[in-house]
Amino acid sequence: MKGFLDYKDGNSIFHKMNPLSKLFLAVVLCAMCFVSSNIYFVAGVIVINLLIAFAAGIHKMALSILSGLLKLSIVLFIVQVLFVRSGNALFTIPGLNLPITDDGVYFSLLFVLRLLATALPLAVMLSVTQMSDLANVMVSKLKIPYKYAFAVITVIRFIPVFASEMAGIIESQTARGVEFDTKNIFRKIGLIIPLCVPLLISSVKKIDSSAIAAELRGFNRRTSKSGYKKYPFGGNDIFAVLICAVVITAGIMI
Amino acid sequence: MIEFNNLKFMYSGGKKFALDGIDLTINDGEFIGVIGPSGAGKSTLTYAINGTVPHHYKGDFYGAVKVNGLDTVDNKPEKIAGEVGCVFQDIDAQMTATIVEDEILFGLENFGCPAEEIEERIDEALKALRIEKLRTRSIGTLSGGQKQKTAIAAMIALRPKILVLDEPTGELDPQSSREIFELLKELNKKYGMTIIVVEQKIMLQCEFADKLLVIDGGKAVHYDTVEKVLEHSEDLEKMGINCPRIVTLARMLHENGLYDGVYPAELDSAEKMVRSII
Repeated sequence: MKGFLDYKDGNSIFHKMNPLSKLFLAVVLCAMCFVSSNIYFVAGVIVINLLIAFAAGIHKMALSILSGLLKLSIVLFIVQVLFVRSGNALFTIPGLNLPITDDGVYFSLLFVLRLLATALPLAVMLSVTQMSDLANVMVSKLKIPYKYAFAVITVIRFIPVFASEMAGIIESQTARGVEFDTKNIFRKIGLIIPLCVPLLISSVKKIDSSAIAAELRGFNRRTSKSGYKKYPFGGNDIFAVLICAVVITAGIMI
Repeated sequence: MIEFNNLKFMYSGGKKFALDGIDLTINDGEFIGVIGPSGAGKSTLTYAINGTVPHHYKGDFYGAVKVNGLDTVDNKPEKIAGEVGCVFQDIDAQMTATIVEDEILFGLENFGCPAEEIEERIDEALKALRIEKLRTRSIGTLSGGQKQKTAIAAMIALRPKILVLDEPTGELDPQSSREIFELLKELNKKYGMTIIVVEQKIMLQCEFADKLLVIDGGKAVHYDTVEKVLEHSEDLEKMGINCPRIVTLARMLHENGLYDGVYPAELDSAEKMVRSII
C-alpha cells in the first residue's frame, strides 16, 4: 500500500470534479454504510467505490487496499462470529461447545464489509485530488483557517519523507549487522522502537525548518482571500451529486 | 546592499560566538561565494541576512545587519523576505506544496501578487530555471536537482533583490551542481540579482563568484575578489579548505620566483598563467 496517499495523475471525470464534491461524495459513501444495516447495500457501496477507482484509473491501488485489509477482515470476522450468541444456532464447534448463530454470521459479515467500504472512499478521493486544491477549497468555500489546512497538507506531504528517512535509518542499522529480517514480530518491534528516537529528532528539525521556510515566504501575511485558484462547481459535480442521491435513497429504502 | 556592522551572535546555550565581529558590506549585484570549514558560522551568516537570527534562533546579538536599509532586528523576517529570497540546505523541508506550480504560487499568493501578474511570474520563473516541463509534476517525484531548481524558481518568482543559498548543491552530482551555478550566474547577470552562495565546492565558487568570503571561527578571515583570496591559499588549506590544484601550482611558481601574476581562479586564467611562463 506504499504511496497510497500520493496523487495519481489522470484526466477522468473524478480528477476534474471540484475537490469539495469529491470530499462530499467520500463522506456520503462512508456515512451511508453506517446508516444502512443491509449487507447487500454495504457490498454495493464497495462495488461503487471500485467502479469509481476503475473510472479514475486507480483500480490497482484500490484493490491493493482491499487485499491489504483482507487478512485483518478474516481475523475480525472469526473473532466477531465467536462472540455473538444471539439468533438461531447454525452449528456448534465440536469440542468447544461454541454455537455459531445466523445473527453472528450476519453481523460479523456486516462489520467486515463496513470496514472495507469505509476504507476506500477517502483513499480514492485523496488519490485523485491535489492536496493543495483540497486545502484551498476548504479555505475558500468552507472558511476553514488556512493554518489548519496547511497543517493537514504538511502532515500528508511529510509521510513519504519520514518513511524514506526511516528506511534509511533501518538500512544503516542493517549494514551494522542488526537483523531486521527476523520473523519474530516481537523481536522486530523491539529493534525498531529505538530507531524512532533519531527519526523523531530529525522530524522535529525538518518541521522547524519547514516553518521558517514558510514564514520567509510570507505565510503570516496570508488571508482567506489570498488564494489565486478558483474552484467553481460544474457539470462534473452534478455527477457526484447524482451518485450521492442514488446512494442515499438506496441506503434509506433498502 | 547588505551591511554587517561588527555583528556578533551567540546561540542561547552556546559557549562561543557563532559569528564574531563580522564587519563588511555586500554591494548590489555582486556574486559572493561563502566558504569555510564545518561549524565556521556560514549558515548562521545566512540566518543573520534573512532575519531568522535573532527572530527565530534566539541568543546574544550585538552589532547590526542592514539589508537594503532594513535593520534585521527592527524588522521581522517576513518583511525582510520582500528583499531576500532564501534556499535552504534541507530542500525537502523547504517545500510547502505537492506540485511544482503550487510551490511557486505559494509565495506569490502570500505576498498578495496581483492575479493578472501571477501567470506571467510563474511562466517567467519556470523559464528562467528551464523547468517548464515540470510545471504540473508532483514534487515527490522530482530528483534532487529538480527540487533545487523548483525551490530557486519559487524564490525568483517573488523577484527578490538578493538571493541567499545555503549549500544548494550539497546532494547533487557534479553536472547538476554546475548547472545550478550556471543558472545563478545567469540570474546575477540578467537581473542584477545579488547572489550569496554558501558552498563547499570551491572549484565552482572560484569559477562563478565575483568575491569570496572566507569564514572561520565566526570571523570573516578574508573577503575580496576570488584572485586576491586565492593568494592566501596556504591559509585556506590550514583551515581545511582544499584549494584547486592550479592555485597550489601558482603558489609554488610564486615561491620559486617563476610567476608574479594573479592567482588563476579557473582553467582559462590557468592557461594564461602557463603561457606567460613559457
